[in-house]
Amino acid sequence: MIADLLTAPAWSALLAMAPDAQGAGGSHAATQVAHGPGWVLLIPFLPLLGAALCGLYAAMGVKSKLPAWTVIGLLAVSFVTTVAMATGFGGADGAAYTVKAFDWIQVHGEHNSFVANFSFFVDTLTIYWMLFVTGLATLIALYASEYMSHDVGTGYCRFFAAFSLFVFSMACLVMGDNLVMLYLGWEGVGLCSYLLIGYFYKKPSAVAAAKKAFIVNRVGDLGLALGLYLTYVHFGTVEYAALFANERLLHYVELAKTGAFDQIPMMAQGIPLLLMVGAFGKSAQFPLYVWLPDAMEGPTPVSALIHAATMVTAGVYLIARFYPVFLASELALPIVAWIGTITALLAATIGMAQFDIKRIMAYSTVSQLGYMFAGLGVLTPTGAAYHTLTHAFFKALLFLCCGAVMHGFAGQLDLRKLSGLRRVKGWGIVSFGMLIGCLNLAGFPLTAGFFSKDTILAEAFVTPGTAVIGWILIITAGMTAYYTFRVFFRVFVGPVEYHPGDEAHDHDHGHEDHGHAHGETHTHDAGHHGDHHGDHFHPHAPGWAINTVLATLTVLSIAASGLYFVGAGEAHGTKTKHYADTMVSASTAGYHSPYSEHAFHAEHGADHNADDGGDHAAPHAGVGPRGTIDEPLMLLGKDPHKIMYYVSGVVGLVGIVLAWFFHYAGRKTASECRMDKVARLFGPIPRWAENKWYVDEFYNATIRVPLRVVSHFFHWFDKLVIDGVVNLAGLSPRIGGWLIRPSQSGVLQGYAAGMVGGVAVLLVVILLVVRFGGGA
Amino acid sequence: MNPLWLMLLILVPLVGAMIIAFGSGKNAYRDALFASLASLVPAVAALMEFDFTHAGHYQGQWSVSWLEPLGLKLSLGVDSVALLLILLSVLLGPVCVLASKTAITDNRKLYYAWLLVLQSAMVGVFCARDLLLFYICFEFTLLPMFILIRMFGSTNRVAASTKFFLYTFTGSLVTLAGLVYVVKFAAERNGVWSLDIGTLTTAASYMSPKEQAWVLGAMLAGFAVKVPLFPVHTWLPLAHTEAPTAGSVILAGVLLKLGTYGIYRFAIPMAPVAFTEHAPTIAVLAIIGIIYAGLICWVQDDIKKLVAYSSVSHLGFCVLGLTALNANGLSGSVLYMLSHGFSTGGLFLMIGFMYERYHTRDMRKVGGLASKMPVWAFFMVFFTMASVGLPGLNGFPSELLCLISAFQADGSWTAAGEPGAAGVTLGPWYAAVAGTGMVVAAMYLLIMVGRICFGPKIEPEGHHHHEVLPDDLNAREIVTLLPLAVGCLAFGLFPGLLLGAIEEPVNDTVRLVEASHELSGPHAMADSASTAAEGVRP
Repeated sequence: MIADLLTAPAWSALLAMAPDAQGAGGSHAATQVAHGPGWVLLIPFLPLLGAALCGLYAAMGVKSKLPAWTVIGLLAVSFVTTVAMATGFGGADGAAYTVKAFDWIQVHGEHNSFVANFSFFVDTLTIYWMLFVTGLATLIALYASEYMSHDVGTGYCRFFAAFSLFVFSMACLVMGDNLVMLYLGWEGVGLCSYLLIGYFYKKPSAVAAAKKAFIVNRVGDLGLALGLYLTYVHFGTVEYAALFANERLLHYVELAKTGAFDQIPMMAQGIPLLLMVGAFGKSAQFPLYVWLPDAMEGPTPVSALIHAATMVTAGVYLIARFYPVFLASELALPIVAWIGTITALLAATIGMAQFDIKRIMAYSTVSQLGYMFAGLGVLTPTGAAYHTLTHAFFKALLFLCCGAVMHGFAGQLDLRKLSGLRRVKGWGIVSFGMLIGCLNLAGFPLTAGFFSKDTILAEAFVTPGTAVIGWILIITAGMTAYYTFRVFFRVFVGPVEYHPGDEAHDHDHGHEDHGHAHGETHTHDAGHHGDHHGDHFHPHAPGWAINTVLATLTVLSIAASGLYFVGAGEAHGTKTKHYADTMVSASTAGYHSPYSEHAFHAEHGADHNADDGGDHAAPHAGVGPRGTIDEPLMLLGKDPHKIMYYVSGVVGLVGIVLAWFFHYAGRKTASECRMDKVARLFGPIPRWAENKWYVDEFYNATIRVPLRVVSHFFHWFDKLVIDGVVNLAGLSPRIGGWLIRPSQSGVLQGYAAGMVGGVAVLLVVILLVVRFGGGA
Repeated sequence: MNPLWLMLLILVPLVGAMIIAFGSGKNAYRDALFASLASLVPAVAALMEFDFTHAGHYQGQWSVSWLEPLGLKLSLGVDSVALLLILLSVLLGPVCVLASKTAITDNRKLYYAWLLVLQSAMVGVFCARDLLLFYICFEFTLLPMFILIRMFGSTNRVAASTKFFLYTFTGSLVTLAGLVYVVKFAAERNGVWSLDIGTLTTAASYMSPKEQAWVLGAMLAGFAVKVPLFPVHTWLPLAHTEAPTAGSVILAGVLLKLGTYGIYRFAIPMAPVAFTEHAPTIAVLAIIGIIYAGLICWVQDDIKKLVAYSSVSHLGFCVLGLTALNANGLSGSVLYMLSHGFSTGGLFLMIGFMYERYHTRDMRKVGGLASKMPVWAFFMVFFTMASVGLPGLNGFPSELLCLISAFQADGSWTAAGEPGAAGVTLGPWYAAVAGTGMVVAAMYLLIMVGRICFGPKIEPEGHHHHEVLPDDLNAREIVTLLPLAVGCLAFGLFPGLLLGAIEEPVNDTVRLVEASHELSGPHAMADSASTAAEGVRP
């Protein structure tokens, strides 16, 4: 393999791309990226096999947990293969390679060709993303094996088929070696999301939510598709290996670094503007975020895997992967930063006013994705990727804890109807997991969420012109801590009280959605009788599978903070701070502006870890795309990297304390707390926030209804006007025919006669016009 | 390739039709199935013997003189594009027969005989190498379809069949006039009468741009109606809705493609300069069709009418690819002709199966069928996703190529891309606006599947079990669907095979168009052609 690498000079040149290296190798030579080992194909194709097998089980009428175990097994092997791929790659020193499955779309024209193969591209960014995608998928499949057990039968097969197909699609998205493969994965995850949100297909709200998710995403996909076309038309290729080594692109990046955007063609600058629309759709950013909260209609494992940990990070991946293209546009990254910031703030305000704990988690996901986009926008793809990873762990954990509650309390998710679960027997692991998840999300000092969020926040103050973004994000961090712990203090601590959800009333054990397997999962029921209310409801505590997964994720969420301290190395000749930094910097995302930490570290040779911090209040001075900076960038008179730990730590703590004061201290029942009085002071504002600022209604009134009116008009127009003219024209020959020929002649003879006559007339007309008309 | 296979492809269904027509009629279904399966044999043989390394050459050529002085010959021959379209027509044969077993109960003899005749006529269109055979077959497809709709359609069948016949027939007459003009022009130029399509194509490119424009207009009058292109599309929703299931499948799968095939085979090569000049206009009509028909789909309650309008919308992409006149566009468009029938045909079959059980197509009266008919719902979702253009299924590669081609077909600003041949000036806006069709398609199709498959189950009042058919699909119906479903997957995952097969003829066409601009001397197009050439230079 080493020999292969040596024969790929252009690619090495790309990887070695330092700020002064430009345009080494043509795009033609660059297509010779080394071919990787074929077993890498197992990573996407084993989940696909799993989906196919589940389909087969459904056809065979399997009524056991076989689909779950098949999928878990195959996903586990897929994960192990990913680990093997990661260890075999050699970190930042490894060279990217491609693995081709088969030829896909190829057109070879006279002037150029369009090639997009079913082929996979492996570099550090791929590995980084796939590690948590396959890992979490395996864990969540295990969780789902228990969670979905009341649906054993066709529904169970359907669930795991779509689940497994999702992992395949996600692998195509992340590992694809060209934009069309990415698009395949992109739409594929959209399909699986559609199928899984609409899993309870008899429920109209679930069907509507699924539809909405797909259609809103399609709007984003249109942007992505147009970005794809423009990429192809401008750079002549959609394959990463050729694209990211494309001379023209490298030149643009160099121009961008000196701020000479006027020399970069508008078409090239337009590419990221289109691609980002796709990212906004898939990652639920403003204004396309409306589908994600509704997507919570799906079973909770789906919410955890697809709508929190993996699929919704696809937009972050897309921008990180295409970072050079984004850098080469004057507007792209600032827009990304602002959209991310607006989304983070907006979703946090809505999250504060919701009462459904799963919805709160959904809005917090939207908000945290906003942080990641802001991170990308303020020139720290590392921070965005690190936050993606930590968020994947702790948000999956939070969702799965909520799912356990929902599962155990017959669908109850209202935080006004649950309290003190910590002290209900069998709910210890869930409560502890929830605490860890909440601490992470709130950015409690020294948690993984704390470090990853800080990376983004600090960089917002380092990058010129984005300090406002930094401040908004800090305020949002306080709000996040508040609404996160609002859930924890209401539901998991305090007086023990709970009311079962609808499913206890509506669906007795005989209901088709809660079939025969119910008894099996109730094994823990016998032991405990909570302080439950009234109607003899027995919550059933999670079984071993759910608890194992929750415990594992709790450990992983804690351990993720360790990643901040390990894995420092070197990429592109500059030092990297930690694992995520190394992995991101060694990939195509590792192009940096003069403001980046890397340029900074290259200059000062300082290793910037949390402990040894280095003493660099030194300025990030230089010339860059956002202008010249003479003044050192400071926050409260200190280096932002350093002071941010204290600022965000304090903000997080304040949020938690507020939540404690208003939602825990002195609370006697589940439904009433001090916050109720405070909320009244704000008048209708909390209700507006609870109703999501009426954005859905706004879209309905401004887009859907007018379009619907237009459609009805078109329908009417088509029937009456366009077809009316045809009918009118249709009458004239009949009248003519009636005049000319005797009424008894056969229909077809009439047509034949008409045919000959008509042709003759028309021919004469054409001849006359062409020969004599116009005189030309 | 042995011309025998082409002849058999035409004759086997004809013979089958004869046997059924003159037989007792008791075994019409069985005989038709046998005949349609039997015609797969020459199809496979032709495929095996076809030399794909020279896919642009007409193979299996055979001709017999008929009326020498007038140049009347009967000649056959196929290039890869024609061959693949023939395969499509033949493949749909057994599917249509299988789909009709329980749907058609009366007059089976007549039904199956005409179905087979229709197949012969379609094959004839694609393998004709002389204008006479082409036009006879082209027109003759009308008659069987007219009878299928008229005699076996649903309530509004008389109006639908009449409109279908008169509309397309009238259009074709104008086309004929255009073709006859080309014949006359060629005869004057060459000094001998000939109806050979190759000869005519070569001669036609010497027509002046003005003559070309008239010929193009005449041809489009017929072909655009067939496609159908906005605003001459209104016959299609009606015909589709009223036709029996098999009729709709053939209509969507093959008959509409006669229009785009006609444009590809005649309009573009015979009037290349005029086509280049008017490509933006045609493209605009195609794009209007995409969005206009898509939005109309959105407000339909009749599910069959919805799918019918979706055909208008989809075929817009196909025409858009043709107007780009570059390799990507023509490849995408031909691929669209081949693949569109699989998903839309599949949807028509699904609707047919549902209709047999519920006798309604109104989504207000029937819906939420997934709980009662899970297998049916699975296929419904599958074909819907194929129709939406989900990557990995058949709609995607062709749609992608058609849109890309429109996007790049503007030589004025592209840096690296291939411009449209000789500088067709479409451009990003064409692709962007047409691309919104993807969003609209997702809207109407997902809403359709959401109503018909999901949500609370609705059945028409007084619904009883079908006497013969089970609640969900039976084995025959699944077998009917399988070729189409497999086709959807194969076209989605391995379009490369087909794209490779049509590469040579497509590139030949592009070259022909480019060469025509040099032939036709100085005129307006030359400027944009040179701009385009500059665009290619890196």
